Amino acid sequence: MRQKRFWAVLLAGALAAPAAACASSSGEGIAINVYYAPENNFATVVDECTKAANGRYHINYQVLPRSADDQRVQLARRLAAGDTGMDVMALDVTWTPEFASAEWILEWTGDDKAAAEAGTLAGPLRTATFNGKLYAAPKNTNTELLWYRKDLVERPPATWDEMIQMAQDLKAKGQTHQVLTMGAQYEGLVVLYNTLVASAGGKILNDDGTRAVMDAGAVRGLQQLQHFASSGVTSPSFTNQIEDDVRLAYQTGGGAFEVNWPFVYAAMLKDAPDMAAKTAWARVPGVDAGTPSRVTIGGYHLAVSAFSRYPQEAFEATLCLRSAEHQKFSAINDGVPPTIEAVYAEPEMEQAYPMRDIILEQLRDAASRPSTPAYQNVSTVLSATLSPPANIRPQQTADELRTTLQNALESKGVLP
Amino acid sequence: MTRASRLSEGKRAERRLAWLLCAPATIVMLAVTAYPIIYSVWLSLQRADLRFPNDQEFVGLQNYATVLTNSYWWSAFWVTVLITVISVVIELVLGMALALVMHRTLVARGLVRTSALIPYGIVTVVAAFSWRFAWTPGTGYLANLFAGDTAPLTERASALAIIILAEIWKTTPFMALLLMAGLALVPEDLLKAAQMDGATWWQRFTKVMLPAMKPAILVALLFRTLDAFRVFDNIYVLTNGANSTSSVSMLTYNNLIKALNLGIGNTMSVLIFIAVALIAFVFVKVFGASAPGGEEERR
Amino acid sequence: MRQRSGWWWLANFLVVFYALVPVLWIASLSLKTPATITDGNFIPREWTFDNYRNIFNTDMFIRALINSIGIALISTVIAVGLGMVAAYAIARLDFPGKTVLIGLSLLIAMFPQISLVSPLFDIERRVGIFDTWLGLIVPYVTFALPLAIYTLSAFFRQIPWELEKAAKMDGATQTQAFSKVIVPLAAPGVFTTAILVFIFAWNDFLFAISLTSTERSRTVPATLAFFTGASQFEDPTGAISAAAVVITVPVILFVLFFQRRIVAGLTSGAVKG
Repeated sequence: MRQKRFWAVLLAGALAAPAAACASSSGEGIAINVYYAPENNFATVVDECTKAANGRYHINYQVLPRSADDQRVQLARRLAAGDTGMDVMALDVTWTPEFASAEWILEWTGDDKAAAEAGTLAGPLRTATFNGKLYAAPKNTNTELLWYRKDLVERPPATWDEMIQMAQDLKAKGQTHQVLTMGAQYEGLVVLYNTLVASAGGKILNDDGTRAVMDAGAVRGLQQLQHFASSGVTSPSFTNQIEDDVRLAYQTGGGAFEVNWPFVYAAMLKDAPDMAAKTAWARVPGVDAGTPSRVTIGGYHLAVSAFSRYPQEAFEATLCLRSAEHQKFSAINDGVPPTIEAVYAEPEMEQAYPMRDIILEQLRDAASRPSTPAYQNVSTVLSATLSPPANIRPQQTADELRTTLQNALESKGVLP
Repeated sequence: MTRASRLSEGKRAERRLAWLLCAPATIVMLAVTAYPIIYSVWLSLQRADLRFPNDQEFVGLQNYATVLTNSYWWSAFWVTVLITVISVVIELVLGMALALVMHRTLVARGLVRTSALIPYGIVTVVAAFSWRFAWTPGTGYLANLFAGDTAPLTERASALAIIILAEIWKTTPFMALLLMAGLALVPEDLLKAAQMDGATWWQRFTKVMLPAMKPAILVALLFRTLDAFRVFDNIYVLTNGANSTSSVSMLTYNNLIKALNLGIGNTMSVLIFIAVALIAFVFVKVFGASAPGGEEERR
Repeated sequence: MRQRSGWWWLANFLVVFYALVPVLWIASLSLKTPATITDGNFIPREWTFDNYRNIFNTDMFIRALINSIGIALISTVIAVGLGMVAAYAIARLDFPGKTVLIGLSLLIAMFPQISLVSPLFDIERRVGIFDTWLGLIVPYVTFALPLAIYTLSAFFRQIPWELEKAAKMDGATQTQAFSKVIVPLAAPGVFTTAILVFIFAWNDFLFAISLTSTERSRTVPATLAFFTGASQFEDPTGAISAAAVVITVPVILFVLFFQRRIVAGLTSGAVKG
């Protein structure tokens, strides 16, 4: 049954792709080009929104590369050249300040703004805002969860230290014990560190993103990360693992705990159903006992290019692409969590998102990554300095980061 | 007198023909690269960041000072030198052996030649991906075979070794192909004569074959060294520069393409360019790599 | 004699083993099911052709394959053609500016391509060849030319051009002398160069991803970055491996075809030389 649907969708996609290409070249009416990450069923959403436009415009789905870095590079290059061929673009939640301050994307105002904000979760909305102005409409959000083997541990750990202890106990008993999460030198490590800092109540940059503070909470985050990495419960590949490596390691029985995005569960149901049956989920552990974690928010926004020739149509198309109905469709078919709170309550979400309550709970007090136009620099410096995590010397690393992050903010000096 | 002028007439015709023949290639190369290269040098003298277009200003050599006093740059530089030297040396030895086998084998010649060229034909990114998977504990056959409980891609030394291994695997056939072309130039009768004089295999190799192959060897070395110095794809896939395995090209990519810092990024480009130009200079002047049309040419 | 051929078999085996093991590993990955793709077995425990079926079911991959073949072949023909005449002049004729030309081509071969991407993008958009076959052929020819000129002129300088004169003395016409004597001697060099240029164009990733934006001109290496896993973070390992195997096939065909010509050229060269 599942297989059949997959083929049908694939076929539909294959048929739709050339049709879309033809429509754009025929010159009839207005073409709105949407640059969006590869997503198996997004073409269906695009077609529905074209239909909804009643012939006033036609939406083309132009696929961006899979990796976020490649996406950003391609978008930035074209925007810097004032390319008028892009109307709507998918932006990672961390790019909003950069694209907004370069004046590459248009501010949302009036009715469009109201429509984009209505019912949208506060966390995602905050990451679409820069200097108090809304620059994008949140399309989907994301938040990492704790996945654990309920056949090995009775209840989920509340703090990282507790999780490390549980893993060490399992190890002592010769059982599967590893804590699996992303530790490669890339954005995933920054996400982990940001979660630890926010959970400890700390700050990496000040609130307007102009100064590197690295306060006591940030140092606490460094200690926690270092302790975790050197406690002997991580995978030997920890410092080279990204999302999919972690997922595969867990579902092939490599660990007792996994901190990863919700996509792992759907994949596990498909590839390793017996492992899925043994798996439960919980809130990501906190740093201090008694203080719940604050988990880093991910996801994608849709923004309208400043060089679009049809901004009005582009705003309208964007609202359609991220409407509650389409967010539900994407959540169920492509596994991306919605940004509109009401969608979680829909009955069909029960089956696709059995963990939806925890996702919502984490999203309500989610932590965002530093908001600055130089985020890319900050991220590069952070991931390089934190890598490998076992070598962190908390106070010294914090001092070092205060200087290098400040340089990165001012785009001075060399990035690693 | 008449003879001399006729000679110069012929000389002039020769020149005209030569220029005519070289014109198309020259025009194409200049048309495509002149502007980008000059632009790149110009930007290296500016403070220029794509995200802060209003802050652009001329800063002279300040970017060069920034880069050349930076520890990331020097770490990447020495990593690059290490990868280049080790991989090119091993490639030369292996490539020579491969060329000999491909050239001389008595059996299954087509199979050997074809399969030897496959690594070279494979897309680098895909090959690197295959190595990455092979060395990942649990999922990879090589890691299961050799690495035991450790993850070789996460230690600096072993990660560099794997990067070098991937480079060697991929480009040895390139070396072999150029060397094989050189082997074809070894005069067969000279080899036979040496054999009749009782020269050992090693003597024939060093005294007859190597001298005849020298131009081909130097061309192969030159191109591989220039190429190896810009190593990027393998590192990008295998470690993404983690644990201090960045090469200078990785560093340039991070600053220029990812961080959009045109000033610093282009400064690095120019520095790589200078380093590579020095390598080429050494090859041509010191080892006498046959710059086609060099002095030896004029008889 | 028999013992020698035994040694050759061993040497051949080592070469084939060396060359093919990583390739077979990719092939093995491409035949594994999603559930077994990370089991670390060299030989798949569960076989499936789904990965191949999936990539050939999409227009994206087939278009990319056509683009790749077309662009690489055209680039090869142009670069080798232009390179041949220039290399002939460099190897055979005496003219001022020769060193400048060689220096220039080396300069181009050496410049870090990463830093040329952005300006090239600007130019191509202004000229209107961005996202076309021509838009990729132009940089491929440019960056293959130094290699082509360098290797071809190295070959050409070794050709005993006196033979041409000798053939003419023996009564051959100019055309006969050239086609019967010089062409066979030059062929191995030309085909070797053609292989190098083709593979350069076939392999390129940086230009392919920077100078294209749709299926109109996107080549296979660039397309790999657009394959989708089942969701955002899942890697389409199986699909990528299958595509890798598929794009290796033309290279094998190309090499098979040209390596025969190289052998033919080499043997005739050996007899004459």
